[in-house]
Amino acid sequence: MAGLITAVAYTLASLGANSEIPARIGPFLGVLLLLVGAAHLGVRLLARGADGTMLPLAVLLHGIGYVMITRLDERLASLQTLWSFVAIAAFVATLFLVQRPTDLARYKWTLFFGGAFLLLLPMVPVLGVDINGARIWVQLGPLSFQPGEFAKIALAIFFAAYLAERRELIAASTWKVGPFRLPEIQYIAPILVAWSFSVLVMVGERDLGSSLLFFTLFVVMMWVATERVSYLVIGFVLFGAAAFVSWRLFDHVQTRVDIWLDPWEDEYGKGFQIVQALYGIGDGGIVGTGLGRGSPDKVPEAQNDFIFAAIGEEMGLVGATTVLMAYLLLIGAGLRTALRTDRTFDKLLATGLTTILGMQAFIIVGGVIKVVPLTGITLPFVSYGGSSLLSNYIALAILLRLSDTSARRLGELPDDPTPRERWAAWRLRRSGPAASDHEQEADDRSPVEVAS
Amino acid sequence: MNRAIRQLAAALIALYVMLFAALNFWQVNRTEELASEPGNTRALIRQFDTPRGPIITADGVVAARSVQAPGDSDVKFVRTYPTGDLFAHLTGYYTFGLGASQLERTKSGVLTGDTFTQQIRALDNLFGQTNDNSGELRLTVREDMQAVAKFLLGPREGSIVLMEIDTGAVVAMWSYPSFDPNRVADPDYDAAFDYVTELQADERDPLLANAYQQRYMPGSTFKVLTTGAALDAGVIDLESFWEPEREFLPPQTSDPIQNYANSVCGGDLTEVFRRSCNTPFARTALELGPERFEDGIERWGVGDEIPIDLPRAATSTVGDFDDIDEQLPLLAIRGFGQNDDQMVPLHMAMVAATVANDGVMMEPFVVDAELDHDGRVISRTQPEVWKRPISRRTAGILQDLMVEVAERGTASCCIALDDGISVAAKTGTAQLDGPGEPERSHAWIIAYAPAEDPKYAVAVMLKGTTAEISAGTGGRLAGPIAKSMLDAAFDIEPDGVDVDVAPTTEPSE
Repeated sequence: MAGLITAVAYTLASLGANSEIPARIGPFLGVLLLLVGAAHLGVRLLARGADGTMLPLAVLLHGIGYVMITRLDERLASLQTLWSFVAIAAFVATLFLVQRPTDLARYKWTLFFGGAFLLLLPMVPVLGVDINGARIWVQLGPLSFQPGEFAKIALAIFFAAYLAERRELIAASTWKVGPFRLPEIQYIAPILVAWSFSVLVMVGERDLGSSLLFFTLFVVMMWVATERVSYLVIGFVLFGAAAFVSWRLFDHVQTRVDIWLDPWEDEYGKGFQIVQALYGIGDGGIVGTGLGRGSPDKVPEAQNDFIFAAIGEEMGLVGATTVLMAYLLLIGAGLRTALRTDRTFDKLLATGLTTILGMQAFIIVGGVIKVVPLTGITLPFVSYGGSSLLSNYIALAILLRLSDTSARRLGELPDDPTPRERWAAWRLRRSGPAASDHEQEADDRSPVEVAS
Repeated sequence: MNRAIRQLAAALIALYVMLFAALNFWQVNRTEELASEPGNTRALIRQFDTPRGPIITADGVVAARSVQAPGDSDVKFVRTYPTGDLFAHLTGYYTFGLGASQLERTKSGVLTGDTFTQQIRALDNLFGQTNDNSGELRLTVREDMQAVAKFLLGPREGSIVLMEIDTGAVVAMWSYPSFDPNRVADPDYDAAFDYVTELQADERDPLLANAYQQRYMPGSTFKVLTTGAALDAGVIDLESFWEPEREFLPPQTSDPIQNYANSVCGGDLTEVFRRSCNTPFARTALELGPERFEDGIERWGVGDEIPIDLPRAATSTVGDFDDIDEQLPLLAIRGFGQNDDQMVPLHMAMVAATVANDGVMMEPFVVDAELDHDGRVISRTQPEVWKRPISRRTAGILQDLMVEVAERGTASCCIALDDGISVAAKTGTAQLDGPGEPERSHAWIIAYAPAEDPKYAVAVMLKGTTAEISAGTGGRLAGPIAKSMLDAAFDIEPDGVDVDVAPTTEPSE
């Protein structure tokens, strides 16, 4: 269904722009159906119990984004096609490799250091590249990518795993500071380190959007894990303080706030992007100018951070609302997964990944339509960019895996052992009856450990 | 933890509700405010991305058309004007950054295909290969006549209007100075802006058409209006006689009114009209009195905007009548076309046409027809009567008077047409200088031909900006221009193909 909508939109966009049925409609449809079919088959084979709405919603967003990118820049569109292949492949591979969510929890320290490494990567003199004032890119030969996009998944997994293990200890909060009861410092330290590290690095790289995203992720996961509202309060106070300090200290933060308050003050300078975006969105009105018939290319970076403005212009309120509804439904599906599962780690991970997705979309859409100050991050699944697409599909695969696992656990599907578990069990049976008492326990532990 | 997750869900939903609200605010509530922001060029770009039809003269020359824009441009099409400055005051310009004017502005809907009829007719395009339903304008104005007018006027400020008498269709309407719409529509915005700034700084107002957007003191050509009003009111007739006199002292003043060049002038109506004496018409205006004079002049359309199908046409005037009872000398002077009398040159051509047309004043027009993308007629301008300022009988008397002027009067030197085509005329020399100032005057002539079966009316006005014009008279200066203009008009074959267009058709660039 989502594939069909994308195909129709693609045709319409070409009709609007060149008033002819696109010449490449055949190959396009083939590639599209191939990709969607592969992803769908991957889910059916590898995560049969997963929520059935998430993949179609993601594909719909991906499709709308792809059509918009095609309409804006043919060259980028062919790159995006390549990235789509890679992303779908990574999606299926993730589903295949992560057969049990607990597999991820075991690598939390690896992910912690991996995430830190990724975050630091752009700071490396030769590798890091400044693009549009933010140093969040890594250039390796012809390839460039944003490691931050992957770091956010790694950190979400780390937070979830760490908090799942220690949440009682952290929630116990025996350490009193004034009216607040805080957890013992040694339990909270790794989280604080991870969080402050990521935020500091992001501020250092001038990536305000991602800083905000990491901050929200941290506060929300602490709050959900401990169910203590004080974390929210402390979080927002800290955020307010940090925002104020950075506003006072950094010129570029002040500029962002000034533009947000009145973009027309410097309409042809700093405010140009957002003013043009608002013109476009206003021009779109309720039903939009029609695909290919607006001029979203007036907005710099329309294919990237500002793709929502292009959608608002050419597809109008209807199209923009569809995109927002798709995110809301994705958030709903993600949080439903978090509610259904009875495992703490699964719950926290689903919450974390959903929060990242929901907040990321909110931050950039809100920035484009002047609800919050503009901070440049990509619109998940929609914006142009390989790193973004890839990481979001990986996150989606993990969410689907979580959803599938909870369905199996609730008995909606037979909880068949995974091939690896079968193999481990077979090895165990081979190694002697003495070990068979521990088979159940072994299932939950690493097959590698068992094998070694 | 589930409670917190539910609260998180509620919080995220609240954030998205904010987004929906903001989206509705921009896309529904504030659409028009955003669209009217000066920096918002989207609507313009949309217009410039759609093809725009041509404006074509009556003799089939393209006066304005759209061509593919150079590759690096923001838009797909740019507007060009192959006739240069020749039709600038009619087509106007259509630009990206500087707006649009004249027909380009008022007929934009037809040219882009946005009118209801065109939208309906273009429905079959949905299944075709093209979405071009841009319309086309056909003018009544001829490129060859326009070129003749431009040649005749040369570098003298002024205007020439040639129109059909029975319809009001304008055949030529040239004003000098003009401007080059190509330079205003230059895709290089800075160059265009500089050019327009230069045009606006020019005190000769090249952006305004002398022919229909400015008004000038008419001098003795105005006597046609005064005579018409007086004949209709029964104040004078052909038997009226004025004693020859050098000057006339109106009431309330010690400053007498003199005839042109201080001559002694008088006689019956035919003679004073032929010789263009001033004092008889001053007396006639006083005899009519302020009310009848004002009423009679207003019936000619003075005080009303000229109803031509071009925007921002000027309005002729005879000045303020509020305290005229205490200023009767002014009334007397206005009777022969001086003081506050100001006539639009096009209006004077309409006055000549009205006399020729037995007292019926037609609405002037320059758009003959609007065509759709397939060349089918959407609408054709139907001649309309604007006013009936004078009776048929009065018109008949004025016709005889104007033939006298052409054959034996102030125009007899210069107006006789080729091939013996009869002609009627009235000259004017509008004295602009006050006492003691250097001599300065506009030179006018209005005429129509053939006298017995009128076809074309013409009005020529030369602004008194040079010593040469100021020293001359309407008859000697404007007369030859009117003659050549009418000769050129009669050289055109009835089917519209010209055989021998007078001096030159090449506009001197």
